Amino acid sequence: MNNNKIAIFGYNSMSFELVSQLNGKEKKLIILDADPVKIEQALQKELPAQLMDCRQDENLITLGIGSSVETIFCFLESDSENVFLTLSARVLDKKLKIISVVNQPESAEKLLAAGANKIIDPFEICSKKAYQLLTKPSITWLLDEAVFGRADLHMAEILIPKNSYLDRTLISELHLNELYNLFLIGVVDKELGEKLYFSLGEQDHVLDTGDILVVLGSSRDIKNFKKEIGVIE
Amino acid sequence: MILLVISSVSLLLYEIEHKTSEWAILFENFVVTVFICEYLLRGWIYSDIHNLIIKQHEKTEYLGSTFHLHKVVKLIITNKLSYLFSPSAIIDLLAILPSYRPLRILRIFLIFRLFKLFRYSQSMQMFTGVLKNKRFELTTLAIFMSFLIFIASTAIYMFENQNTGGKVNDLYDAFYWAIVTVSTVGYGDITPVTTGGRLVTSALIIAGLGVLAFFTSIIVAAFNEKMSEFQEERIKARIEKLTDTTILCGFGRVGQDIARQLHANKHHFVIIDNNEQHVSLAKQQGYITLFADASKNSILEQAGINSGAKAVLCTTDNDITNVYITLTSRYLNPSITIISRANHEENAKKMLQAGASYIVQSFNIAGLLAAEYIGHPVAFEAIHGILHDQKDIQMEALSICGDCFLTGLPLAKVNFSQYKIRLIGVISKNPLHAKRRNRYKLHNQHFYFNPDPSFILYEGDILVLLGRQLGIEHLHDLIITSRLQKTLEKPL
Repeated sequence: MNNNKIAIFGYNSMSFELVSQLNGKEKKLIILDADPVKIEQALQKELPAQLMDCRQDENLITLGIGSSVETIFCFLESDSENVFLTLSARVLDKKLKIISVVNQPESAEKLLAAGANKIIDPFEICSKKAYQLLTKPSITWLLDEAVFGRADLHMAEILIPKNSYLDRTLISELHLNELYNLFLIGVVDKELGEKLYFSLGEQDHVLDTGDILVVLGSSRDIKNFKKEIGVIE
Repeated sequence: MILLVISSVSLLLYEIEHKTSEWAILFENFVVTVFICEYLLRGWIYSDIHNLIIKQHEKTEYLGSTFHLHKVVKLIITNKLSYLFSPSAIIDLLAILPSYRPLRILRIFLIFRLFKLFRYSQSMQMFTGVLKNKRFELTTLAIFMSFLIFIASTAIYMFENQNTGGKVNDLYDAFYWAIVTVSTVGYGDITPVTTGGRLVTSALIIAGLGVLAFFTSIIVAAFNEKMSEFQEERIKARIEKLTDTTILCGFGRVGQDIARQLHANKHHFVIIDNNEQHVSLAKQQGYITLFADASKNSILEQAGINSGAKAVLCTTDNDITNVYITLTSRYLNPSITIISRANHEENAKKMLQAGASYIVQSFNIAGLLAAEYIGHPVAFEAIHGILHDQKDIQMEALSICGDCFLTGLPLAKVNFSQYKIRLIGVISKNPLHAKRRNRYKLHNQHFYFNPDPSFILYEGDILVLLGRQLGIEHLHDLIITSRLQKTLEKPL
């Protein structure tokens, strides 16, 4: 069963960027907007788009919320529309991942209360970014590369599979730097919850199946490492 | 100078009741000498004699006529005389003259030294400026007042002279009474007793109230008019004192957020916005704000683009404005850092063309970040955290300066884990590193990711570190102190 569909509500520069970023990842995408003009624009760029009024619950159900849709992005113009969409989607599916954009800071709490998993404030991100560029331009560059992957430097999450040789090893014994040319940013130790522990040599963690390593490196090195531990064949 | 004036006047007051000591006389002489020097020097620089002579000479040569010395001297003398009769010069002179013994009677004029304070205090100059602006209204008022006083004093003298049983002995008394009454002070040492006198008094009191109200309103209005100008002057003066400022053009949502961060980290910044609401908001927060159009050369210069500024941020929500500000700033200062916000993809290129150093594409970043959330939710959180300084985990760049203890060391010998920090990579321009692996281009430098233990650090290299704020600050301090120690040791 195909239940990893991603639905993006609202077509604008943000959703365009999102789609172009996600396109390579072989996920099923669909852009939805109530404005025929915008749908036309999206179709011109050969993006999967569909005209839909997202205020109707039936429409959401036909789309597959509650069944085949795994994640939705609420990129609608106004905060109230986003809150409404979040609410209706949350009612239909308790496990749905909802990521919403927020324009006014005071709407953030409302969106979270309505059931959004993650909120994105473009203004805040923009100002933080501008500030960072001002104070530490080189770090910003590095993060840009890692996050948006323009150069061959990526951040990756590696889930430790069952029966991996990494099971029961200590982080300090990994030697990712020397052996795999990877930089270990942090680790999620499932025994201690979902929190990400930055790897700074403060405490050692025993890796188990299900733990997540967050690493930074070139795609080739990441692939090699994944092969080594048996994530990919 | 202000101190000198105040002390000399207080000495004068002291001398009224006490005997003068030798020191006091010495001090008095000293003060007077300083004043005389000041007076003469001001006279000296009031006009440039050389310039005048040369100009006159050139003029005569050009016209082919003969050069007359007396003409030039006449010109110089008229120039100097105009200095002598300028109000500030007269005050200066009056402050000096009474010290000359034969003119001791003029002691009262020593108080004029206090007027010298006017010259040195800006607020006093401001006040006189205000008065000057309202010269016309004030003269009208003064003329009206003198008429009023003249009429009132003659009238009261007519009604209340000694022949009619009043207390007004002469015209001087009448004048004094009129002033006391018109100002609504009314001491009551001279009071009218006749009916006519009382009528005059009542009329004068009512007129006096009107005059006072008129006078106050003129002054208040003048100040109101001038106030914004003065505030601007003060802001200008404040900006001039700042160094390493960031010029923030646009105080909308993004601008406000940046301002808050800059403020929290004690960076200097100047806000320029032409939206009244934004400006009043910025002023409420106590930020230095210019209410103007940021795309004007003069405004950017006023904000210090060529003096104290190190960066310009264009954060208005209008791409066209941002491009224009970027272009203007780049034209004014070719080396300044310009960070510009682009709302639309297609405008980013234009901004780079206009000279922006960095572009922030607000909606793009948000979109990219959202995409990241799909693939790597944990990494997303980590980046989000670092990006937003939410945790005290930081990514920080530390540069290696010439004399610090890390220079020339291979990385193997630097024990970063001792400080609970980890090295992500090194940024360097140094061609010596060029053969190393994991090289990434970064503007005109290179970023070396995960360098070998044999990687040797040179001056100018920048370490990119991940760690807690505490650890990074500690290392930073170590670098600074080791450098200071080296520079101290050098001369020995």
